[in-house]
Amino acid sequence: MTQRLGRRVRAAVFLRSLAIQGSWNYRTLLGTGFAFALLPVLRALYRDDPERLREAVERHSQIFNSHPYLAPMALGAVATLEAGGEDAAVVERFKAAVRGSLGTLGDRLVWAGWRPVCLLFALALLLAGAAWWVGVVVFLAIYNAGHFLLRVWSYRLGLREGKWVGERLRRYPLGKAQRLLAEVGAFLVGLVLPLAVTGGLVGVEFGPPWIAAAAVAAVLGIGLGSGIRTPIVLCLAVFAFVGLALRMMQ
Amino acid sequence: MMWVVVGLWGGVVGLDVTSFAQCMISRPLVAASLTGLLLGHPAEGAVLGLIFEAFALTILPIGAARYPEAGPATVAATAAYVEAAGSGVDGALLLLAVVLGLLWERVGGASVYLLRRVDERVATAAGTGVGGIDREVERRHLAAMVLDFVRAGTVALVGGVVGAALLRVLGSWWALGESLPLAVLGVAGAAMLGAALSLFGGWAERRVAFAAGVLCGLALLLLR
Repeated sequence: MTQRLGRRVRAAVFLRSLAIQGSWNYRTLLGTGFAFALLPVLRALYRDDPERLREAVERHSQIFNSHPYLAPMALGAVATLEAGGEDAAVVERFKAAVRGSLGTLGDRLVWAGWRPVCLLFALALLLAGAAWWVGVVVFLAIYNAGHFLLRVWSYRLGLREGKWVGERLRRYPLGKAQRLLAEVGAFLVGLVLPLAVTGGLVGVEFGPPWIAAAAVAAVLGIGLGSGIRTPIVLCLAVFAFVGLALRMMQ
Repeated sequence: MMWVVVGLWGGVVGLDVTSFAQCMISRPLVAASLTGLLLGHPAEGAVLGLIFEAFALTILPIGAARYPEAGPATVAATAAYVEAAGSGVDGALLLLAVVLGLLWERVGGASVYLLRRVDERVATAAGTGVGGIDREVERRHLAAMVLDFVRAGTVALVGGVVGAALLRVLGSWWALGESLPLAVLGVAGAAMLGAALSLFGGWAERRVAFAAGVLCGLALLLLR
């Protein structure tokens, strides 16, 4: 038996999906959040059958994970499956099948792609001399345009395709998008480095010795990657300690 | 009043990190600038935001990994700096605020871990079922979000108050002048920006795009 989900119900699920990670925990990951976001659909479908509502809420509170921006895709697909009267075991198998891939895809596309690209663009603007608010506003506008487009697109795709959403997703050139973002990101890292190496990050103009030191540090950063973060933080802490200890010794 | 604003704003920033919307107002660049704006010193906030952002770029919140929480710590460090230094850039206080903020991120990260352990009970425990299981799921979920807001607000508030007190005392003890700490921060920031290349595949995979960027950056420098 297929039931149609009203516009208000679909909108309510989308709005609730913004808070899907609100109760993230190590036992069910975002399971409770998934049930929280899906409640408008479950209430609409099972309002006359409290026992089925209870059973459905319990089912959807179990372990689930996804990138938060792609979670609407799973929510949309599950809403369509529930409205279509699909067997509970099929819905569970679908959720288990998509939870890993939606997480990995979102991590690569957004956390390691879109977000650092937008941030580096904002940093480039600021280091090139733009006012502070220009960098902040441009970052928030560009980033969130992509962010909400992704959320809306993924939700609509899930609603439309139901359990075939994974099949459909493979037809989109997401791998190409990832590679393009990586190229743009690498270009932007290259763009900001000369501006930072000459002192732009702290608003001063370095002389040749400090430019050389910053260039060496940048090369070290390129070579060591994110592993350099903790040693750098420790070095800064030691330098701060030395700067304070010298006065105490005087 | 200032610290009430810092606590509330820190709570909002903390919610944005994971619990709600993730519009990235919790990014150090934004959080520090807006903290500065709220406290009447947006330019100083932006300087701190640039530095903290360079350090936060390579942190990826993937899966159940434990990582430093930059947002509320940035709010705390910015508030502490503004309270201690007022207007303008004071090299020594800036360095001390950045070090305090980077260490406070670890405290924030530990509080996130603790909250997620607590949420195992808050979000999944069998409750009274008053009003039906659907209402109970809503209550549990919203309770977990309130806890996150309180947690992040506390991290920002305590970090800000303690940081401001420390900066006022330590600032007068500083013995290495104004320009040296700025230079050291600039060098450290350059290393972190270089490390950001690893997000995109590193030198081996992206050297052409990276080199093209460096050329454009040098051209920008010459044109300035």
